[in-house]
Amino acid sequence: MQADTSHNIPVLILGIGNILMGDEGVGCRVVQHLQSQDLPDGITCLDGGTGGFHLLDIMQQARHILLVDATADGRPAGTVQKLQPKFSSDYPRTLTAHDIGLKDMLDAFHLLGKTPQITLFAVSIQPPGEMAAELSPDISAQIPRIAQTVLQEAKTCLSDFQLES
Amino acid sequence: MARIVIDPITRIEGHLRIEAIVENGVVKEAYSSGTMVRGFEKILKGRDPRDAWAFTQRACGVCTTVHALASVRTVEDALGISVPKNAELIRNLMFCAQMVQDHVIHFYHLHALDWVDVVSALKADPRETSRIARSISTWPRTSPKYFKAVQDRLKAFVQSGQLGIFANGYWGHPAYKLPPEVNLLAVTHYLEALEWQKELVKIHAIFGGKNPHPHYLVGGMPCSINLEEVNAVNTERLNHVGSLIKEAIEVVEKMYIPDLLAIAGFYKDWARYGGGLRNYLVYGDLPTRSYNQPDSFKFPRGAILDRNLNEVHEVNGRDSEEIKEYVAHSWYTYAEGDEVAKHPWDGETEFNFTGPKPPFDYLNTDGKYSWIKTPRWKDHAMEVGPLARMLVAYASGVDEVKEVVNDTLQRLNVPVTALFSTLGRTAARGLETKLVVHWMKEFYDDLIANIKSGDMRTFNDEKWDPSTWPEEAIGVGMTEAPRGALAHWIRIKDRVIDNYQLVVPSTWNASPRDAKGQRSSYEEALIGTPVADLNQPVEILRTVHSFDPCIACAVHLYDPDGNQIHQITFN
Repeated sequence: MQADTSHNIPVLILGIGNILMGDEGVGCRVVQHLQSQDLPDGITCLDGGTGGFHLLDIMQQARHILLVDATADGRPAGTVQKLQPKFSSDYPRTLTAHDIGLKDMLDAFHLLGKTPQITLFAVSIQPPGEMAAELSPDISAQIPRIAQTVLQEAKTCLSDFQLES
Repeated sequence: MARIVIDPITRIEGHLRIEAIVENGVVKEAYSSGTMVRGFEKILKGRDPRDAWAFTQRACGVCTTVHALASVRTVEDALGISVPKNAELIRNLMFCAQMVQDHVIHFYHLHALDWVDVVSALKADPRETSRIARSISTWPRTSPKYFKAVQDRLKAFVQSGQLGIFANGYWGHPAYKLPPEVNLLAVTHYLEALEWQKELVKIHAIFGGKNPHPHYLVGGMPCSINLEEVNAVNTERLNHVGSLIKEAIEVVEKMYIPDLLAIAGFYKDWARYGGGLRNYLVYGDLPTRSYNQPDSFKFPRGAILDRNLNEVHEVNGRDSEEIKEYVAHSWYTYAEGDEVAKHPWDGETEFNFTGPKPPFDYLNTDGKYSWIKTPRWKDHAMEVGPLARMLVAYASGVDEVKEVVNDTLQRLNVPVTALFSTLGRTAARGLETKLVVHWMKEFYDDLIANIKSGDMRTFNDEKWDPSTWPEEAIGVGMTEAPRGALAHWIRIKDRVIDNYQLVVPSTWNASPRDAKGQRSSYEEALIGTPVADLNQPVEILRTVHSFDPCIACAVHLYDPDGNQIHQITFN
């Protein structure tokens, strides 16, 4: 049952969040934006929603994961920080309901002996108010820019990967 | 006397706070509070009822599919739609896959750490672990070398100073009774279960098109069956499902159940604690004929009062006098006053937060103290979940349930009353997993047989077009989520959602008191729980975790910053 670690997805852009909590779903919305574009072969996009344990399989298949997630860290809404976390404790604290399941999985990679390279794009949001299925106008307007930043990184990762192989 | 606060208490999704008053080492009083507000109802109003499933299942990453199932059934009930046999069977297969995966994860990844001391596993002799493993099961990977390799990896992980997933444990607490060798066995299977569960949920992607958050469809299932077609549910994919089920049976029979019994054997004293409420409620599920025939369910519908296993009461989700929700102690308000109870069809979701601003020490438990409403069945507080399901099935005379329950009681050498406890609840979850994984095989065989007979239908489109709908309709859709009875209620008016209410399992179990002051499941179950060390209340975790708390769907949205793991004040 030890799955093989053939990294058959060179770069995975994984958006995480709860789209029912407005801006909290910014990660999913960035991925949905990218999914509507023509992407180079080797870049896979997934709207991970609130999935925790369900994401293990695809994450193990990826060589490099670009994680896009929301954080309510007090910075201006739409600020994007690029981080290279190793353990779950390196991740910024978020307000999300989903982070615990996901962080469990990130640590499990170490125990399972298979650790993909992860780059986290933490997108600052205002603490969510009432539930809403739509983004705030402020964040919504910034989605193309954030998606472009993530895509640029994905392309860099992909060309690094192609140089190596 | 000390008041202990544990916040958050959940290992996975959600935000649950427990305040417990401990006197002379025993819990005297307990309060359960959901600390995030949920507001789906507001999001759904005015939308197309055929889209509701997609929104509701985004509530949670743990049991995504169950909300989709409840939702499509609700709309089908309102519009009088029956689904084709294949769709019913595919829904059953997805239900079973979800329940088996969720229960195994709960046991190894969420609950086991209350019983298994991970750090102690570092001291184990792998040869002895191997001997124990071989004595309880024919599971293949049991060599001393294998356990040694896992131990080495664990050592490196712990030495890195990053306890990560294991950071929330009270390692070294005297309440941990397992020898280091059994701890190593459990940690090893923790990792194996993690690798395996990702395979099983592929069943969701095969039938639901994707994972997480697979697709559902009002009127059937959104997959076409064509044995030769590359993009359909074809022979190859069905064979894949068959092999995943076979593997799941192996995991449950040879890993989960032997581990559960081995660990339970060291904790028989927990058959004395955590019983709590004496009433159990089950909506039932897994139709063998159709959802509209509850008498054909594998999990029978019914209620038990006062632990009387000689009588099973009928449950009717449509009767406005049966299931009602109170907000007397919840941060909501009803137009007619907060003392009344309302059936979900007439439910209201108006926020009325009166709680303290963080940081604060305690909630005002005399007033409103939770974002969870308080549901009651005929004004009784009810426990829902695996224990309720096993008890209602047992009392309904389901032979295969009676057999596995009696057999387990005999093997552990405990009386039937041991079921009404923390240990009983945890055992019930394992036993139903064993049943469900075999039922999954039955449903799979039925599906293959039905397809071979030439029936490829997965969708009934008769009422897909809204012009065929009445001006107004009401419906209820019931299911059994891994954590217990789940139902959605809908009011459709002018072809859009006018009102939508969810009463989820954790609403039943984790809710605050009702207007009469009756405690709900968690609160009641904690009374009498021993707490040896106020700074490390692992015993409280054991009982609350035995319900598999997952509050993401019970409440949602707002987390005031300042989650203490726990805080204690003496007075």
